[in-house]
Amino acid sequence: MLTTQTNTESLKTVMKNRDSHSHVSGKSIYVDDIPVRIGTLYAAVFSSPHAHGKLQELNLSEAKQMPGVVRIFTHHDILGENQIGGIIPDEPLFAEHEVHYQGQPIALVIADTEANAREALHKIKVDIAPLPIIVDPREAQAKGELIIPPRSFRLGDTAAAFEQCTYIFEGTAETAGQEHLYIEGQGAYAYPMENGSIRIASSTQGPTALQRTAAQVLGIPMHQIEVDVTRLGGGFGGKEDQATTWGVMAALAVQHLQRPVKLILHRMDDMKMTGKRNPYTSDYKIGLDENHRILAYEATYYQNAGAAADLSPAIMERTLFHANNSYFIPNVTATAYSCRTNIPPNTAFRGFGGPQAMFVIEAAIDHAAKALQIDTNIIQRKNLLTENSEFPYGQHAKDCEAKACWDTATEQYDLKKLQQEVADFNAQNELLKKGLALMPICFGISFTKTSMNQARALVHVYHDGSVGVSTGAVEMGQGVNTKMAQVAAHAFGISIERIKIETTNTTRVANTSPSAASATADLNGKALLNACQQIKDRFLELAARRLKVAVDDVLLKNECVYIKEEKTDFTWKKLVMDAFLERLNLSAKGHYATPVIHFDKAKEKGHPFAYHVYGTAIITATLDCVRGTYTFDSVKVVHDFGASMNRMIDLGQTEGGIVQGIGWMTMEELLYNKDGRLLSNALSTYKIPDIYSVPDEVSVQFLRTDNRHDLAIFHSKAVGEPPLMYGIGAYFAVRNAILAFNPQANVPFSAPITPEKVLMGLYGSK
Amino acid sequence: MKISFNINGEAQSVDVDGQIPLLWVIRDVLNLKGTKFGCGKAACGACTIHIDGEAVRSCSYAAKFAEGKEITTIEGLSSGDNLHPVQQAWIEEIVPQCGYCQPGFMMATAALLEKIPNPTDQDIDDNIANVCRCATYYRMRKAIHKAAQLKGRA
Repeated sequence: MLTTQTNTESLKTVMKNRDSHSHVSGKSIYVDDIPVRIGTLYAAVFSSPHAHGKLQELNLSEAKQMPGVVRIFTHHDILGENQIGGIIPDEPLFAEHEVHYQGQPIALVIADTEANAREALHKIKVDIAPLPIIVDPREAQAKGELIIPPRSFRLGDTAAAFEQCTYIFEGTAETAGQEHLYIEGQGAYAYPMENGSIRIASSTQGPTALQRTAAQVLGIPMHQIEVDVTRLGGGFGGKEDQATTWGVMAALAVQHLQRPVKLILHRMDDMKMTGKRNPYTSDYKIGLDENHRILAYEATYYQNAGAAADLSPAIMERTLFHANNSYFIPNVTATAYSCRTNIPPNTAFRGFGGPQAMFVIEAAIDHAAKALQIDTNIIQRKNLLTENSEFPYGQHAKDCEAKACWDTATEQYDLKKLQQEVADFNAQNELLKKGLALMPICFGISFTKTSMNQARALVHVYHDGSVGVSTGAVEMGQGVNTKMAQVAAHAFGISIERIKIETTNTTRVANTSPSAASATADLNGKALLNACQQIKDRFLELAARRLKVAVDDVLLKNECVYIKEEKTDFTWKKLVMDAFLERLNLSAKGHYATPVIHFDKAKEKGHPFAYHVYGTAIITATLDCVRGTYTFDSVKVVHDFGASMNRMIDLGQTEGGIVQGIGWMTMEELLYNKDGRLLSNALSTYKIPDIYSVPDEVSVQFLRTDNRHDLAIFHSKAVGEPPLMYGIGAYFAVRNAILAFNPQANVPFSAPITPEKVLMGLYGSK
Repeated sequence: MKISFNINGEAQSVDVDGQIPLLWVIRDVLNLKGTKFGCGKAACGACTIHIDGEAVRSCSYAAKFAEGKEITTIEGLSSGDNLHPVQQAWIEEIVPQCGYCQPGFMMATAALLEKIPNPTDQDIDDNIANVCRCATYYRMRKAIHKAAQLKGRA
C-alpha cells in the first residue's frame, strides 16, 4: 500500500517561487505600485454610518467646495444598472433609498490627491431614519430574513436511526467570523483607453467578475472593459467577489471624467466596508450505538450572511457538503439557513463554509466522547470514511485516504507516547496544563457550481525559443505562477527559465473562473497542458519528418529532440525556428472542463467533486491556568498531497493554512456590537498570529500512496484550503487543557477560544 | 516645509507637509515603492525602514522628524547587485508567498542583526513583531538564522 512517490525528473527539483528575487528586492509590483499616469485622480468612499435605515437626505454641497474635489458620484451617475450582486442581484454599488450595514458605500469623492478626497468625506452630510437592526442570524431566521430558501442534504433516515441509538447528544456550536487581513488592502487603478474602453488594474481574484460587473454598471459591453492583474498581496477569498466594488467605482469615475482614477482603501475602511468569513451558529444532534459507531447526525446551520447575498449561498452549500467532515454516517440530515443581517455582506474565506461545518461535527463528537468518558479520538477513528463510503450528497469516497492519514499520523508521531507525555505533564503541574486533540479533514475539490469548473490558457512560443503563458490563474502568494511555469516547461521539455508567466488579463484569457476553491492550479494547469500539447504535436510531427522517423519515436526533453532514448542535435531553439520558417502555428489556446462532475440541486445529489483531499493533524497545547493564555507545542500532520509537483510551495500553503486556521479558532476575535458597528476595526484591535504566537513546531509528512488522481494536475492534489481546517484541532486542544485543570468546567463550543473565554472555563462550573 | 535627509546613500530634499507620515514621502514623492502600506497603525510592520540604523514603522513617523537622518529602504538594503545576507537567506529558504509584507520583515531583520548578530529564537520572538498573513513564519525563522550565518561569514 505504501510506496515512495515517483515524479518525473523535471518535477523533482525543488522549485523556488518565481517571484523570489523581485519580492526580496522590493521590486514586485502590486496595484498601488503601478507607475501613476499624468492627470491621475484619487477616490475615497463615503459610507453609511448606520447599520439600517432610510436614506432621507444626502447633502454634498459643502464637500463639493472642498479643495481639490473634482466630482462626487452617487447612484444617480450610474448609466447601467446600480447592481453588483454576483449570485443574486440584491446589492447596489451605491445605496439609493435604504442602507443595510455600517460601511455601505453611498458616494465616491474624486479629488486631485488622496488626502483631499478623504478630507472632503468629512463634509458630506447624510440623514438616515433608523430601522431595526439585526446582527444575530437566529433572530434573522426567526423573522424570515433569509437570503435564499433553506436547503437540506439527506442520507438515510435520521428519525428512524435515532430510535436505534444507544446514546444521543444535542447541543449548540458556534464560530465567529474572520477578517481576511490580506496585508495589501483592496484597490484598483482604472484609466481611459480609446473609444470608450477602460482598463482596470485590480487586486482581484476574479478578473472576469470585475469585468462583467463593471460593464453592467457602466452600461457597456464586456469587451469595453479590460481587467489586468499582476499579483495580489494576499487574497484568502476576500478578493474573490469583494474586489469588484472598488474596481467598478474607479471605472465609473473614469467613464465620466476620462481621466485615470485610483481607489485604494485605507485599512480601517477596508475592515469596515468589506465582509469576512461568515459567522455561524449551529445546532447538532448526534446518535451512537453501544460500540460508539455514529448512526445518525442532524445539524442545522444558521449562517450570518450579512446584508446581501454576495457568495453566501455558495458558501452555505459548501457547509452542507462538509457536514460529515471525514466521517461516514449512514443517516444524516443537514439543513442550512443563510440569514440576512445588518453587517457587511460576508464572503469567501479559505475553506468557504467547509470549516464552519467541520467545527460542528467535531463539537458533536467531542460532546459525545466527554459524556461517555472516552477519548474523543476513539469515536473519531471508529467512524472515519472508508473506500466507497457514501457522502450525504450521493458521491462515494474513492481512493479514500482518511484512515491511511490517521493511522500514519498516530504511528509515525507515536500518539500513545504523546498522550502519555501530556498525562505525565498534567500530573506534575498544577498551574500549567496540556491538552491534545486530533483533527482529521476531508475536503472536496471543485467549485460546487459545476459550470465554474473550466479554464483556458494562451501559449505563445516566440521564434527565439522563449515562451509566454497566459492563463486565468491569479497569483496571490499560493505559487500558482511557479506551478504554471512548471507545467509549460515539463510539457515542452525545456528549462523553466524560458517560460514567462504573463499578467492575468481578460483580453488574453476570457470568461475566467476566479482563483478560488483550491482549484486554480488544476483547472488552469490542465488548460495550459492542453495548449502546450497542441504546439508540441506540431513540433513532433516536424521533427519526425526532418529526422525521418516515426512520430511516436520522437520526444522533447532536456531542450532537445530525442529519438526514443537517443539525444539528437536538433535543439529546442532550432526546432522552434524551423517550425516558424515552415509557417507552423507557434501559438495555441487550451481549454479544460473538469469531466465527471455533476450535481442535481433538486435532489441535492450528484458527484460535485473531482476528488477529495484528506489528512490528520495532532495538536498539543500548553495552557497557563493563571493567565488563561496558551501556546501550541506542536502541530503534527500527515497530509494527502497526492504526488506533490512542488513540495516547497505545498508545504508553505500547509503551514500558512494551519496558522490561519489556528488564528480563527483562538486569537482572532471579530466583534460587532448590537448596532452593527465593527469593534475590531483596526490591526490594533484585531490580532492575527505573529512569529511569537505560532506553534513552536509544525511537522508535515507527505502521505505515501499509490493512488493517482488524474483530475489533479500532474497527480498533485489541490492544497490551498484543506490545511486551514487542521486549525480546528487547536480549539479542542485548548479545551482539553481547560478540562484537565477543571474537569467540571463549562466550556461552550464557541470559537475563538480567547484567553477571556479560557478563564471563564477554568474558574466557572457546570 | 523643506526636509533634507540621506536616503539609500543619496542626499534628498523634499518640500512636504511635515505632519504626513514619512511612508508617503518615500512612496509618492521619492517613488520608492518597495516600502508598503499595511495598517496605518504601526501594528503590521509592512512599512518598516531604517532611520539611523533603527527599524522604524514609517506609516506612523512624521516626515518632519526625518530632517538630517540617515534612511534606508528595501531598495537600499542591497549594494548594487549584491544582495544583503538577509535577502540571500530569504531566497534560499524560499520565504515569500504573496511577498507584500516581506520588505518590512527583511528591514526589521537586518536591523536586528546589527544589534544581535546571532539572535536566538527568543530574540527573534522579542524583536520581529511584524505580521505576515500568509504565515511564512517558519521559513522566516530559518532565514533569520541563516542570514546571521551568512553575515558572519561576509
